[in-house]
Amino acid sequence: MNNPTGNNPADRHLVDRVLRGDTRAFGIIIKDTECLVAGIVFKLIPVVEERKDMAQDIYLKAFHNLAGFKFQSKLSTWIARIAYNSCLSWIEKKKLILPGNLQDEDAYSLSPDSVHPRYAVSSDSERQLFQKELSVILNKEINGLPPLYQTLITLYHQESMSYEELSQITGLPDGTVKSYLFRARKMLKENLLSKYKKEAL
Amino acid sequence: MNISHPSEKEIQEFALDRDSCSPAIIAHIDNCMHCREEASTYQLLFSAIAQQPAPAFDFDVAALLLPQLETSRRRLSPDRIVAGFLVVFVCSCVAIPVYLFRKYLLYMFSDISTFFIYAILCSAAIIILFKAINMYKKYQRQMRFLNFN
Repeated sequence: MNNPTGNNPADRHLVDRVLRGDTRAFGIIIKDTECLVAGIVFKLIPVVEERKDMAQDIYLKAFHNLAGFKFQSKLSTWIARIAYNSCLSWIEKKKLILPGNLQDEDAYSLSPDSVHPRYAVSSDSERQLFQKELSVILNKEINGLPPLYQTLITLYHQESMSYEELSQITGLPDGTVKSYLFRARKMLKENLLSKYKKEAL
Repeated sequence: MNISHPSEKEIQEFALDRDSCSPAIIAHIDNCMHCREEASTYQLLFSAIAQQPAPAFDFDVAALLLPQLETSRRRLSPDRIVAGFLVVFVCSCVAIPVYLFRKYLLYMFSDISTFFIYAILCSAAIIILFKAINMYKKYQRQMRFLNFN
């Protein structure tokens, strides 16, 4: 897992450059954190058309408040926190209750019946097909979880963030983050096993 | 061998990082087919999640944003100008009376009655209480938005 503290010389160097007026350095920050921000925005903003505005809003906020960044966390964690809070504000403004299973439903239209019970993964093409179908099934089930669970699962397992970093991003206590992640994994496993046999996965 | 199975949480911990578990749990899971299967299901799940394609924006964020940053740096936004004027106005409203009546300020609180002190403390306590209730309500609302009701 990553070091959650803000003592990162690379971060300091980039922030100094941006504060001296080098906007290209901010471009590097964007490139470095784009995946992380996308991970949060995609899980919390179900309206596809709004994601572009949201991404711009997040980075503009980060840019204008960069002078106030105190290096108490990693720069990426700070930007992720801005992303998380911006998404929460958006949800609150829109008075939106996020249904856990609405997101990108069409993109994952594979039915449980379409999964072949036994995969004799012999050739490369079959293996690729198996991986693709497994990925689609998993994506569908992750998108069926409550949005906060989705976000935590994505950040922990895909972005390799620590519990401490997740706590800094969401503003929730460490213990709560651990507890939510435990419940999210359990729910995901049970949902998958109830719909698909383990052998099929 | 330990007869009671480890909890689901302990099995998850084992699947995430075997070395962080106690020797008793490691020994149990190594010797119990049911728990081993549970742990292997989680390991399969975790590795599958890690291999999922990371979400990505379908546009170049940097290319879209950098020209905006150049202009926003050069231009002083109207919001900032208004905020600046407000700060100067409020500071003046406080600083000028303080400067003019500085001799009388020391005597302001000397003859204050006990009732008045309690009234100030009570008002402060009520305001803090309302703020705390508001914060809690906001937290609950956000959690509800995120499907935790």
